[in-house]
Amino acid sequence: MTKNNRPVSSFLSEKNSWKENDNTVWLSTSLSLFRNINKFNFPGKLTTEKQKGVVGLITESLLKKSTSEKFFVCKAEDLGPYDKEYIGERFLSTEGYNQAHAGEAFILDEKGEFLATINVRDHLHLQLIDTRREPEKQWNRLVRMETALGSSLSYAFSSRYGFLTADRDLCGTAMQMRVFLQLPALIHTELIDDILNETADESIMITGLHGNPTEVVGDILVVKNNYTLGVTEENIISNIQSFAGKLILKEYATRKEIKSTQNSEIKDRVSRAYAILIHSYQIEAVEALNALSLVKLGVDFGWITGINAAALNNLFFTCRRAHLLCNFTEEIAQENLAHKRSEFIRESFKDVRLTI
Amino acid sequence: MEEYPQENEEEKIPERPLECNECKKDIAVRYIEIEKGNMHKTSMCNDCPELQKKLLGKALSGTSDKEALLTGLACGDCGTTLEMVRTGHPLGCSHCYEIFSDSIVYELYAVGKIPLNLNIESKNETLHIGRAPGEIVEMNSSLQLIALNEALKETIKTEDYEQAAMLRDRINELTEKTLSESESGESGEPDDKK
Repeated sequence: MTKNNRPVSSFLSEKNSWKENDNTVWLSTSLSLFRNINKFNFPGKLTTEKQKGVVGLITESLLKKSTSEKFFVCKAEDLGPYDKEYIGERFLSTEGYNQAHAGEAFILDEKGEFLATINVRDHLHLQLIDTRREPEKQWNRLVRMETALGSSLSYAFSSRYGFLTADRDLCGTAMQMRVFLQLPALIHTELIDDILNETADESIMITGLHGNPTEVVGDILVVKNNYTLGVTEENIISNIQSFAGKLILKEYATRKEIKSTQNSEIKDRVSRAYAILIHSYQIEAVEALNALSLVKLGVDFGWITGINAAALNNLFFTCRRAHLLCNFTEEIAQENLAHKRSEFIRESFKDVRLTI
Repeated sequence: MEEYPQENEEEKIPERPLECNECKKDIAVRYIEIEKGNMHKTSMCNDCPELQKKLLGKALSGTSDKEALLTGLACGDCGTTLEMVRTGHPLGCSHCYEIFSDSIVYELYAVGKIPLNLNIESKNETLHIGRAPGEIVEMNSSLQLIALNEALKETIKTEDYEQAAMLRDRINELTEKTLSESESGESGEPDDKK
């Protein structure tokens, strides 16, 4: 698979909002709304032909309502597996879009912040990614889009259950907020479990990057709302902000402690991570993401120079499979990918130095 | 009671192999039965009743007559059955929420997806308290300010003055931004830049 025949990455790659994201702990927020159209069965109970009808209906409504923004509409059947994977990586999705088939579709904006998926479990899933820590502003934008679409599409709604979704766990506000926090200091000092126990809140769920609560990748924890029914949208946003705020403070306090005591265990881990990234011949994505997180911690402490947080955040995306493949015009064999990743990281690290 | 409609083979959506055969959650167990040289493979999630059936024999067969009758209940619009709802299948249409109302509330309660303070006993009680279609609920940075002020109190309590100063700066920055936005009458246009 080469860059030339990949429509999604060609449309998005130059508008990468992550290139300017220099956040150290809080990485981004994702806001989602799930909606179904009233007169249709949910996608799982629709024939492919009817699903295609829903795609047409939603696409037409969205393009008609929005004159100021440029959207890219792609039907799942027109996309290759790596394009679907690229969308999943870009929007930090756990949905597995690479299995999307005829009757499903994606709509993206130019900045790579907005994604609408059609017929993936629900008729419509609207999602906005915020990398500027302005969740309220992005929420307002999302609601305006949802309301504009709702004026021509009648949403499935009941006064008892709110917005009706195929997954009953999402009915009510049918809203999901996810905050991505990178907490290497808390994780590598093994304080994280105690802190999560102390701050436990039944309205909050914590998972890893891939949606698994027990698998942490790249020291990233995803804080998301557990309830969608019986709570207001304001409650959800404010609870998550407050919870994430506490974790961020604990992370900063732990970093301060590590720096003042010159913790040798952490110094060793940062040094090893640096060595893995510059000396490996081949490297898998998870190992690379874990090492990148420690290198970013080292940069924060001044132990590593020659690269900044924004470049490392960007590398966090570009070293993953679908993003990585965009950097090559030639075809890359699957068995050669880990080696290519290694080369790509080494190239990005050519000015990076360990100063411990 | 209605029979579960037979799906047309052509209209079937291709299977997603990484999901549980029964309820479409991520798979945790691959169950392989070998009987007289024939091999049957089943993918199951961790909390699948099908898994319990396979591992513990006929554990679920001891249901009462009433329950057996209820289990045959199906939605007339989309064919989703009560059994499917109980095993965590996605719901098939809006009508399912009326047909399986009791079961849905029970399941949501059982998996901790309803706040404990919500009254779920009354069948007509409105459980949804968020916005309705068409309702505009604009938010400003006040929610973030509340969270930051809470954090500020916490850092002052622990005498972490460096953190407190950072938080104070962020609060001031946000307050100024909110004020200037409300003065200019815009609460966040879609094309706003950093």
